[in-house]
Amino acid sequence: MTTQKPGAEASAEASSTASSGGISKKGLSAGSVGLIGAIVIGISCIAPAYTLTAALGPTVSEVGVQVPAIIIVGFIPMLLVAFGYRELNRAMPDSGTSFTWATRAFGPWIGWMAGWGLIAATILVLSNLAGIAVDFFYLMLSQIFSNPSIADLTLNPIINVVTCLAFMAGATIISYRDMQTTQKLQYVLVGFQLFVLLLFGVAAIVHMSSGNAFDLTPVSWEWFNPFEVASFGAFAAGLSLSIFIFWGWDVTLTMSEETKGSRSTPGRAATLTVVIIVILYLFVSVTSIGFAGVGTGEYGLGNEEIQGNVFFALAGPILGPFAVLVSIAVLSSSAASLQSTFVSPARTLLAMGHYGALPARFAQVSPRFFTPGFATIVSAIAASAFYAVMRFISEDVLWDTITALGMMICFYYGITAFASVWYFRKQLFKSAHNVFFQLLFPLIGGLILTVLFFTTVIDSMNPEYGSGSNIAGVGLVFILGMTVLGLGVIIMIVQAVRNPGFFRGESLRRGASDGTEEEVDAATAA
Amino acid sequence: MRYVIGYTDTPTGRDALALGIRLARSYGGSLHLVIVLGSESKPTLTPTDPGYERFLQDTAAGWLAEAEASLPDDIEHDSHIVYADSFSEGLLGASRDLLASMIVIGAARGGLLGRFALGTVASDLLHSAKVPVALAPEGARRVGTAPLSRITCAIGTRAGADALLDGALLFARRGDSPLRLLSLVAIDQPGGSADRAAVERAKEHATSVVEQARTCLPDDLVPEAVIATGDRIEDAVQSIDWDPAEIVFVGSSRLARPQHLFLGSTAAKILRELPVPMVVVPRDSVLTLGE
Repeated sequence: MTTQKPGAEASAEASSTASSGGISKKGLSAGSVGLIGAIVIGISCIAPAYTLTAALGPTVSEVGVQVPAIIIVGFIPMLLVAFGYRELNRAMPDSGTSFTWATRAFGPWIGWMAGWGLIAATILVLSNLAGIAVDFFYLMLSQIFSNPSIADLTLNPIINVVTCLAFMAGATIISYRDMQTTQKLQYVLVGFQLFVLLLFGVAAIVHMSSGNAFDLTPVSWEWFNPFEVASFGAFAAGLSLSIFIFWGWDVTLTMSEETKGSRSTPGRAATLTVVIIVILYLFVSVTSIGFAGVGTGEYGLGNEEIQGNVFFALAGPILGPFAVLVSIAVLSSSAASLQSTFVSPARTLLAMGHYGALPARFAQVSPRFFTPGFATIVSAIAASAFYAVMRFISEDVLWDTITALGMMICFYYGITAFASVWYFRKQLFKSAHNVFFQLLFPLIGGLILTVLFFTTVIDSMNPEYGSGSNIAGVGLVFILGMTVLGLGVIIMIVQAVRNPGFFRGESLRRGASDGTEEEVDAATAA
Repeated sequence: MRYVIGYTDTPTGRDALALGIRLARSYGGSLHLVIVLGSESKPTLTPTDPGYERFLQDTAAGWLAEAEASLPDDIEHDSHIVYADSFSEGLLGASRDLLASMIVIGAARGGLLGRFALGTVASDLLHSAKVPVALAPEGARRVGTAPLSRITCAIGTRAGADALLDGALLFARRGDSPLRLLSLVAIDQPGGSADRAAVERAKEHATSVVEQARTCLPDDLVPEAVIATGDRIEDAVQSIDWDPAEIVFVGSSRLARPQHLFLGSTAAKILRELPVPMVVVPRDSVLTLGE
């Protein structure tokens, strides 16, 4: 009854994928992420301005002037594990990532804990991000109104927590409603961030050469020598922090299949991103140490008062009237990172709900916004509650969360790395590529992370560890890490009792790769 | 007659679906349920995740299957998932590909920055749609799915709504339902309705427009004509009787003041008061039943 040209069905069919199963014409497609786009996404996920201000102080406190060496060395385990991550992502693309892969390789219990580690790490970083944003928010206001007392508002725990919760609520709404920053704005924000960090470094050099540095520390090659670090414990602690500073970089690797252009684009994007980031980190850390030294003076990077958020303290002395630029850069960097980070725990929770590892509600997708609605809200509540509690029991909430975060990343990345080795066990020697990318690289990376994890766990029992917060003489970071992991075990057991299907392997079976893709489907279909 | 239903698994989506069923029952035709998912070609800060995208697609397919299963047996239907940067863009694309004669959406109100709030989606659609857009009022899903009983064609205060009138007539014939001509007069003046002369002038003008419209209609069809006045459009809308089973046709450009988005002001006002579905016919569209 309609005037229908022949061929109308065909064109309608082309626009429809409702009936077909695979990820057919979905636009991954037309891949509009070019080289620059991939680099921009990579940099904004790493959020260098935020990362540096959060991690530089704690790293200095562990390894002193050898920060540059640690940055370079810290990249190695990250890179090695990322290769395994990419292989797994290629074989089993699934929103559960580490959770799904570890379950497929090692079974439900270890898989569950890997997922828990990922969720815990991202929730820790969310609370840290929001905390940093609060500091800089008040700093920016004080700079704008030339009123230093505004910056001190952040020290009031009530104001601080309330502001933080407001930021968290804002980020949740943005994630829930999927209101994404456009690419143009991203370019501007990332460009601005890089510009400000460079400006910061150059200004520090100017102060150094004119003799105005706070604590002039001549740059030395020894800073780049990891063997100069005092003890293995310090080295390990520094490394787990530097793993945090590269966290997020793996995105550029997994984006690979979607990047437009030639086959070499993804590799080039990942390489260029990391080169830019490493150079930037080295430049800013070297100039910061050169300007402020690692002493415990007012602006010294060894000063415990400023270590959780060093740019907060250094922006004024180094950039003078332009210090507000640093605030804007860190704020925008935190905002961007909040956006991209929020997605990760929500998607993992969703996958866990989907496979029955958590109650089915976690698998709910908002029918209006197509986001993992319930999981997003749960993550937000967890991160907010965590921050609020920590603010009151920790002497330096930012510092302690970052250290605990390093521990969690080592935990779940380590499991992921071994999952790669074990899942691909039947094909490891089928090609040279497999030997390196599925066996050697992830195995070595996983071993390094395992060592780091246990070293951090043991060392953090010491009440002096990190910021020196402790409960009954046991380091807060240790308590934090163990509480989080212990809580995971408890929730896992409760879920196993109430809904044992997943734990009997009914939804996601153990298996080994036979070289084909999308095996998660095969497993769930069974 | 093919109707593209802009579907979501929400009350709004079910409103649209309910209206679609009534349209198909009244005027014949098939329903094409369309869910629009975000296109990944739109670069965003969050890296895309093929696993999640697939999960989303499966979920959407499930929603569509559920919706299709809920349709009465006498309705021809199919469903599609399309990828686009926005809901309206996806629907427009689908309406082109499917050679649809009408797009049906639910017009939920009160959506804060929401994509499906009337303002953005509907006005986007109306500024580029070549086909009429039917808006289901909030709660249409509860009204039932009986055929529509009457067509009310809101004609503007100036003559020349020929395309709109032709369209409404076509539908009235097809559905064998009576046609009513409506002229809304808002006396948006400082004096308000107290200004008797203004009211009279407006009424006179409206009457002449209605008379002119009648002359365009064939002799065998003598439509009822209603002239509604009020201080504001809302008042005018409220002042007349609405049959719960009727549908209103309006032209997108007729009621708009120059340089004003139609749905930004007048249509939104109408819809806010209107308890019945509304079909907005774009200025350049040609309504056909496709036979």
